[in-house]
This record gives sequence, structure tokens and C-alpha cells, in this order.
Amino acid sequence: MLPNTPIQFEHVFKTYSIDIHNKSTALIDLSFSVKQGEVFGIIGPNGAGKSTALNILLGFVFLDKGSVTIAGKRPNSTSCNLEVGYLAENPCLYRNLTLTEHLRFAGTVAGYSSVASRKRIEELLFQVDLAHVANKKIRHFSKGMTQRAALAYALFHKPKILILDEPMSGLDPVGRKMVIDIICDYNKAGNTVLFCSHILTDVQRICDRIGIMNKGKMDQILNSIDITDEKNLETIFIQTVSR
Amino acid sequence: MKNVIPVSFLTYREGLKHKVVLLTTICALSLMTGSVLISGFFMRDISKIILDFCLSITNIGGLLIPFFLAITLLAGDIEKRTIVTILARNISRTEYLFGKYLGISMLTATVMLIFLAATLLAILGGNFLYSNIYFKGFSISAVVQSVILSYLGISILNAAVVLWCSITTTSFLATLLTIATYLTGQSIDNIVRFVESPPAGIEISTSISKTVQIIQYIFPNLAAFDHKLSAAHGALIPFSEFAMLSCYAFVYIIATLTLSTILFIRRDL
Repeated sequence: MLPNTPIQFEHVFKTYSIDIHNKSTALIDLSFSVKQGEVFGIIGPNGAGKSTALNILLGFVFLDKGSVTIAGKRPNSTSCNLEVGYLAENPCLYRNLTLTEHLRFAGTVAGYSSVASRKRIEELLFQVDLAHVANKKIRHFSKGMTQRAALAYALFHKPKILILDEPMSGLDPVGRKMVIDIICDYNKAGNTVLFCSHILTDVQRICDRIGIMNKGKMDQILNSIDITDEKNLETIFIQTVSR
Repeated sequence: MKNVIPVSFLTYREGLKHKVVLLTTICALSLMTGSVLISGFFMRDISKIILDFCLSITNIGGLLIPFFLAITLLAGDIEKRTIVTILARNISRTEYLFGKYLGISMLTATVMLIFLAATLLAILGGNFLYSNIYFKGFSISAVVQSVILSYLGISILNAAVVLWCSITTTSFLATLLTIATYLTGQSIDNIVRFVESPPAGIEISTSISKTVQIIQYIFPNLAAFDHKLSAAHGALIPFSEFAMLSCYAFVYIIATLTLSTILFIRRDL
């Protein structure tokens, strides 16, 4: 059972060392939370700190100050990763392995039996429409196919929280629709989605709430019902980031 | 640590599909066949020449794993961010490092087993082509023992690769540090002997002597694992020495991997 706010950032600070004397501030007092069963979108200009926030959430990067919880636990605890699926901006799959090998690995670490794993692989390959290339090496995949393959890998263990970093980048309109449909179906099943994107139309289309990040802070959080034709997301976004 | 095995098999499978493994195996097998033919130009000690040649190739072939493949599989994983594919699952960083190490060790073992089989085939070929007299001193146990010791030496180097990859951010730097470790490991024994009993007329300062002593304890003594010459002469090394070297390798590997883990779990990826 997940807590009511499966993702929570409280006063998070993060700086990176550029060299011995210089530091770059990535996050300044970042606070927000994502409610159970909602789709929360994060938008912001390049360098706003979106990827750093996701990296902290997944335990790839350590925060300097503040606290972050995911599925009620601290990031980087292996048990919480059982509840989490992650799709990176540039999907990082092993180029010399096939999609089936990736999915079989996902099944093994998630504790699936070989029969259950095979069944789930078939299900996912059908869902992302990659059954015809299941035994081809990832290096022969196009960008869009790799993105869908990585999505299948992220969804293998039926995570309750899905974290997506630019899931629609590099996809053609058909691929984009497919990914949006998968996210929406996944959310309808009561799961939580946190996702970053530059494509405002997609964010507006599928998110319940949208956070606008700028210069390492969460500047504004909007409910999707607050966005109207006159006050559209692009206008609000530009106004917020140019402040 | 239940996920160490799946990670190691993933690494092993990925490594096997690398061209490096295929190319080194083809090159090594061709060179070994060549060694049988070349040894015919010598008037005596044909088996020793074949063995010396083949065991050297086995060692070089094994060394290609830490220098090229291990660094590609580990540092490349961090550089290209494929590491997130693994760490985003319920796999800890410790399991990741140990799994990677085990996978790389399995690759090294596979390559060296192929080379060992080729060495034995080369001996059989030599035996068939030339007189039996040249192969009287041949001992299969000595050859196997020498290959096992070479493997242990390379396994130590693989552990060093894991350490350097866990603290550096580029594969170039990790390669340089691995080369430095290899060169130091190969020569430290001679340097220590030189410092302890310098030739007449040469004075070694206390600070240099102390530094060498410290380096001796930090860097692995890789030269101790080189027993190609005794294998070529059909001489087995005493079991006590073999056991001591195996324990040394095991302790060194565990210590290096533990240090790697301590450093790796604290770093930003």
C-alpha cells in the first residue's frame, strides 16, 4: 500500500562541483508532492533542474539538504525500486542485447518465474508493438523503437509509480499516441505518474497537475482545470520563466 | 545479494557479443597454430617453445579483457548511462559492482579456457608433427596450474578495473590507472628487491625505501602469478605456494571490491 503522497520533495538543495572553486546550484529549496493516482507533469526551461530532481528521486544523485521520499521510503532503497518504473530521456539499453534479453532480465530481478516472465514479455511486446523485433539487438532499433522498448522494460514489473523523463522525445505521431495511451491506461489503473517534458501539448493533455520549474525552484503548480484557451499553458509557462 | 547472478549473466552475455572476444579468440588460435609450425625451425626444446609461446598468448588474451572489455563494460556503462537501466530496478549498487565483476571474471575464464584448449591442441599437433622425444617433459598439470595462476592475476586486475571505474568518470582515466596498476604490479617485486639490496655504490634514501614499501602493500604483486617458464619446463610449483597465491588473490580481490563499493555507493552518477 502506497502513502497518499508517494512522491515528496521537501526543501531540497543540490549543488554540483564544476571544479575546486566553482559550484553550480541545481536545486534551491525545491518542495512539491505528487498525490496517489495522479499524473504530475514537470515542465521548465533547459537547466531548470528537472533531471536533477528525477535523478535524486531515483537515488542516482545525492541531495545536499532537505528530504525526498518515494513510495514512503528514501530513494535508492532497493525495495522502493520494486514499486517504481523509470524511463530515461535517452533510453539507455544495452546495444548488443536483444529486447527479449532485457525483458527476461527485468523478470528475473523482479522475481518472476520463467513461465510468468514469458507471458509478461508477450503482453508487453504486443502493447508496445515490438513483437516483430523482439530478438533483434537494440543497436538495430530506431530512436522511437528504443523509446518504446525502454518503456516496456520500465513497465515490466507493473510498478505503482512511473517516472518518465521526456518519454515522447524522438517519437513519430503514431508512437507518441501509443505512449500517451499506455500512460493513460496505466494511470486509469490507479497508478501514479511523474513526468518531465518539453512538449507542452502532451503535458496539458495527460497531466492532472503541472509544475513549472525554473532556476532550481518549483515556481508554480497548476491544476489542469485552471488552464483555459485564453490562459493556455504556453502563455503561463513563458510568463513564469521570464519573471 | 540475490541479484548479483542476474547482473553477472547480463554482463557476460553482453561481453560475449562484443567483437573483441571473437577477434582475440581468432587471432590467438591462429597464432597458436603458427607456433606449432614455427617451433619446427628450432632444433630442440620444441615443446618448451610451443608452450612458452602459447602460454604467453593465453596471458595476453586474458589481459585484453581487463584492458578493453572490462573498461568498456563498466566505465562505458557509467558514461553512456546504461547503468540506470540496472539501478532503476531493485538492484543495489553493491550488487551491481559485484555482478559486473563476476560477469567480467566469467568472460576472462571463457577466453582463457579457449586458449588453454588451443594450447593443448598445439601440443598435440606438435607431438604429431615432430618426435615424441621433445614432449617427454610436458606436464598437463603444470600447464593447467600456470593458466589458473594467470587467471588469478588477471582477476586481480579486473578488480582494479572495478575500483578505478567506480571512482573515475571517464573510461580513458580508468584505462590509464589500470595500465599503471599492471605495470606497477609486474615490476614491484624487482623494485623491492633492488631497494632492499642495492648494488654496490648505489645508495637508496630512506624516503624512497619507505615509499616503495608502502607501494608494495597497496599494489598487487602480479609478477608472482607468472609461472609460464616452470610450466614450459613441466615443473609444478609446490601446493603450498599455489594455495598461498590463491589466498592472496582472493583477499586482494575482496578488499578491492569492498573498497570500490564503499566509494561507489557515495558517488553521484
